[in-house]
Amino acid sequence: MKILAIDTSCDETSVAVTGGLNILSNVIWSQASLHAKFGGVYPSLAKRAHEERIGWVINKAMTNAKCQMKNINAIAVTIGPGLAIALEVGIKKAKELSAKYNIPLITVNHLEGHLLSPFAQPKNSKKQNIQNSKKIINSTLSKVTFPSFGLVVSGGNTQLILVKEIGKYKILAETQDDALGEALDKGARMLGLGYPGGAILEHMAEKGGAKVYQLPIPMSGKEKEHYFSYSGLKTAMYRLIQEQTAKNPIRKPSASNGAGELTKQQIYDLAASYQNVAFEHITRVTSSIISHYPSTISYLLVGGGVAANSELRKRIRKMCRKFNIIPLFPYSKKLCTDNAAMIGVAAYFKTQRKEFSEVITKLERIPRYKI
Amino acid sequence: MLIINKRNALEHAVKVLKQGGLVIAPTETLYGALVDATNPIAVRKLTRYKNRPLGKPYSIAVTNQDMAKKYVKSNSTAISLYKTFLPGPVTIISQGKHKVAPGIESENGTLGIRIPDYKLIIAIINKLGKPVTATSANASYQKRPYKISDILENISEKQKGLIDLIIDVGKLPRREPSTVIDTTLDDPVILRQGEIKLKDKNEVVSRSPDDTKNIAKELWQKYETFSGKRAIIFALVGEMGTGKTVFTKGLARARGIKDKVISPTYDIEEEYDNGLLFHIDAWRFEKSSELKYFNFAKKISDKSIVVIEWADRVSDVIQKYNEEAVIIWVNISYGKNETDRIINWGVL
Repeated sequence: MKILAIDTSCDETSVAVTGGLNILSNVIWSQASLHAKFGGVYPSLAKRAHEERIGWVINKAMTNAKCQMKNINAIAVTIGPGLAIALEVGIKKAKELSAKYNIPLITVNHLEGHLLSPFAQPKNSKKQNIQNSKKIINSTLSKVTFPSFGLVVSGGNTQLILVKEIGKYKILAETQDDALGEALDKGARMLGLGYPGGAILEHMAEKGGAKVYQLPIPMSGKEKEHYFSYSGLKTAMYRLIQEQTAKNPIRKPSASNGAGELTKQQIYDLAASYQNVAFEHITRVTSSIISHYPSTISYLLVGGGVAANSELRKRIRKMCRKFNIIPLFPYSKKLCTDNAAMIGVAAYFKTQRKEFSEVITKLERIPRYKI
Repeated sequence: MLIINKRNALEHAVKVLKQGGLVIAPTETLYGALVDATNPIAVRKLTRYKNRPLGKPYSIAVTNQDMAKKYVKSNSTAISLYKTFLPGPVTIISQGKHKVAPGIESENGTLGIRIPDYKLIIAIINKLGKPVTATSANASYQKRPYKISDILENISEKQKGLIDLIIDVGKLPRREPSTVIDTTLDDPVILRQGEIKLKDKNEVVSRSPDDTKNIAKELWQKYETFSGKRAIIFALVGEMGTGKTVFTKGLARARGIKDKVISPTYDIEEEYDNGLLFHIDAWRFEKSSELKYFNFAKKISDKSIVVIEWADRVSDVIQKYNEEAVIIWVNISYGKNETDRIINWGVL
């Protein structure tokens, strides 16, 4: 089963070819790589860039997978959640290809893509034939038992999910305000580290002390309310930065933003302290919920951009040891950030359930699509 | 291709660079590929060597902040970053002044600046009197080069032929590539489209997030009479963490919306209950005109209710609708105590 998968949910134009759960190609033309390595991403550009580049990215994904349209069995496309004007571009292209080559279409929820991304398998080595690849699929799947837990941590979403079985989900906790990735980006921004800052914050935090500054752990003592919240932490960080800036007598306070006039070590320590508390909150709430469930649940699937953060992975592993749960992360960090390969993986499971989209002409984007 | 060690490296390198040549030299992070960043022919040569996709920009290395000023417009965020982190392995992106060869700046005219903490490179730039490209010496998608063989083993003969000089100082310590920081979102043009001065100064102090929600509800009740007659825009202004989303939650509740209201920073726009309320976040906008991609004019003519966070970033576009729409400017700022917020509002 070969699937051509398209994701234009937000900033990245991505197209992948998957064979079962194997990633044959996964091309991401990111605005970021265009603009600079971690450059800013803006809506007008986002739409224009998707339109200009989607054709090129599809060709590249097909070439990398050494594949032609006649070998493709289904086309998968993200229909939400995401930035409406960006989603449109991918959907339009998917419809076009589906009609032109008479290939069935599968619609995919972007969050389900993140959630199932740990199931993705690398491309087979040359020796393996299709039969072998089936074995790989079975071994991964047979390992994981359901129900299991799932955690999606990205720029736009933070959700703890009960995976009753693949395709049947229940949200156990989600954010009340900001997503984890967004909170990290904004923390970096307050430290004067530009945007998007999550990745930069991680670098800076490696050099700092996580316990140097005291920041309140969100929802501390209220973990049983079972939701995530980052707005209070943002406020506390803002105040802490003001306080620390004021303590640097030689350095004048900066006019345009609160930060900037901090010393290098202060920035490292503030980054580490902020990241520490942001992660502590995630694991505390997750632990509280997991402890309410029978100990027969033994897997936690983790996906989304922040799942690429090594410190977060460390803490999730530590938490999981306590509950005797095995955490599963995507095999590559490229599968954490927005990408189409994970959409192909989610679509593969849908083909197993025969969930094809029937009325293609009526297919529309769903910007607030729920998992 | 000439391979030399550190002795006389400076003279050789500068001579080659002046002639538009390509030099591979050690830096504080890894082996870098240097060309004169102001020489279009040299830059084209570098792009051929790197086998780099078109449109992918290069950073440049300069000796100090004064030299950087010739090539970029640095805002205050950039200036404090220079002070804190440079020289060092950090690349700072600002708006470029278009004084480098084509292909160096990004499509949007931004340019990354490095000030290396490495004597040889600084000496080369000083002597050349021009910035050099700051890019790794490997071809695109190949391994990071910490020794010369890392480079030569992974390129074609054709690519080798493009190298004019290699300065080989042996194996470099394994360091991460530089951290890239984009400061252009903090550009003053974006931050302040126009100062908002409110005529009637209504001011209240909110003591808690719940208070803020109630104030939003009261404001809604005050302007509800316009609903269905004119579009109503709540233009929210306030620092990070002051509670713009909390305010919106209050408005949504007053509108009877049950759906959860969260920060729209990533998806930029959220629509609740089939158009009962639109929630837009301008934080990631580059230009205020980008509001039009969200059918803003149609929302006005449809007499919609719209909340815009970071409205100061798009104030010029919002103000064009002063006649057609009721625009309520709401400014939220931090108060004395942790949870205190000062909220002023008014109609222009």
